[in-house]
Amino acid sequence: MTTAISQGLTLAWRSLIPLRNSPGQLLGMLFQPVFMIVIFVYLFGGAAGGDRAGAVAYMLPGVLVQVALMSTITTGMNLAADIGNGVFDRFRTMPIARSAPLAGRVLADLLTLLITIVMSMIVGYAVGFRVTTDPLGALAGLGLVLLLAMALSWGSAWIGLVARSVTSMQGISTAVLLPLTFGSSAFVPATDMPGWLSWWMSVNPVSHLAGALRGLLTGGPHGSDVWITLGWTAAFLVLFVPLALRAYNRRVR
Amino acid sequence: MPAGPDTVGDMTYAIEAEGLVKRYGDKPALDGVDLRAGTGAVLGVLGPNGAGKTTAVRILATLAAPDAGRALVGGYDVTRQAGKVRELIGLTGQYASVDEKLTGTQNLLLMGRLLGLSRPAARARAAELLARFGLEEAAGRAASGYSGGMRRRLDLAVSLVSRPRVLFLDEPTTGLDPHARGELWDAVRELTADGVTVLLTTQYLEEADQLADDLLVIDRGRVAAAGTPGELKALAGGHRLDVRPLRAADLEKAGTILGAKAVDGVVSVPVHDLSEPPAALRALDDAGIVLAEHALRLPSLDDVFLTLTGEHR
Repeated sequence: MTTAISQGLTLAWRSLIPLRNSPGQLLGMLFQPVFMIVIFVYLFGGAAGGDRAGAVAYMLPGVLVQVALMSTITTGMNLAADIGNGVFDRFRTMPIARSAPLAGRVLADLLTLLITIVMSMIVGYAVGFRVTTDPLGALAGLGLVLLLAMALSWGSAWIGLVARSVTSMQGISTAVLLPLTFGSSAFVPATDMPGWLSWWMSVNPVSHLAGALRGLLTGGPHGSDVWITLGWTAAFLVLFVPLALRAYNRRVR
Repeated sequence: MPAGPDTVGDMTYAIEAEGLVKRYGDKPALDGVDLRAGTGAVLGVLGPNGAGKTTAVRILATLAAPDAGRALVGGYDVTRQAGKVRELIGLTGQYASVDEKLTGTQNLLLMGRLLGLSRPAARARAAELLARFGLEEAAGRAASGYSGGMRRRLDLAVSLVSRPRVLFLDEPTTGLDPHARGELWDAVRELTADGVTVLLTTQYLEEADQLADDLLVIDRGRVAAAGTPGELKALAGGHRLDVRPLRAADLEKAGTILGAKAVDGVVSVPVHDLSEPPAALRALDDAGIVLAEHALRLPSLDDVFLTLTGEHR
């Protein structure tokens, strides 16, 4: 058991090395939230002509949620890449715990996610975003993002394990994540929308996550959003963890 | 389940397989293959693309379970005692399976740490292997920037971290230039000198001739022939007569007269008796076929391959 854990940690270390080897990747992680904020606050926000501070306060939680959820694609992509190029087979011929490669991957992606969230907050502070509640509430909000993203990484892992290639993995996940993130109240409130769209935005878990985060970072009502987000997280975990494990066991048999 | 090897005290063969069958859908990739490699020997597995070579390696390296038959590596059953087998083997796949984002050193450290070496021990082993394969200069660079030959050497080094007793090399030199190929051959020779048993699949007959003690020719999932390179060459007969008609239009006719199929503009036939070539050449002359060249030569493994599989390499 302890060897399985140390093998998992070693493989997590392996997955994080590329971040150290090519600092460009870290820069990319920083660039993404900057890019989103420029688009939504300065470009679209400017066109809408509202006050900028208010726009930042509304948008930043949305951007943070979007960036975090998009980063879950990497779990499946990296698994699909390892399977496609033979790295996975190499691990399978070694006398190591069967669970270590998957555990290492999930652990590494959790850490990457944490870095992404911290970076988004730094960018937010640079453009004038401020937490107006208390640090504990803010941490709870970020923790909530981490939880839902982790639950979705299991879905990503499942797709990565059953997809035939990295490209198809990327295509499937983007097709799932784009309507989830953009079709939510992460960036725009669900008012003045056609009926079907406002219905979708109201059931979309990302809307609730964004609402909960907004409330926990800058105040406002959010109680039901927190619980609904936790409910979705649990549902995703119940659905995706067994699916991913089953696909994984098929691959490592 | 027996705890130890199935054949304690009788470890003549490091690799032993009987009646291996593997189907993908209803198409058999392996259709009853037997093979054996003595401890410290090199077994060359030859065959055209899709013959089942890689499937055989995947079964022996515990990556796939056979649908029928059984295989022992180091005396351990590859399905029932896969864990034991994994402690003995190393695999260098057809597609270099190093992590391209990691440097050479990091790839080697990863293996060492996974295998339970301490940090200093893993570092020492990495340095030793980098030196052995001439990769010291490239050690700090990401493997994605390596040349084909360097990558294959790193791949081999990575599979040697565990000091395997049985090594599977699945087409280790495919796509390499002659110089890089020669370097890899030298590395394999060094390993066998240390008593490592090697199973090597290849499409290159020269490679099999250079390295293998024993050969197995697989075609369409079945063993077409087995033996030493010398024995297999004998299968193709003694001397051979090659004739190349001047006009391509005569090729088929020449083939009919000599009783062989033309390949790449040449008709090649085994010679059993040295009175045959003059007679054959007269027969061609009588038929009005002008030859661009003709030659009498000893058979190569290419001829064996052609004789056995009907395919020219």
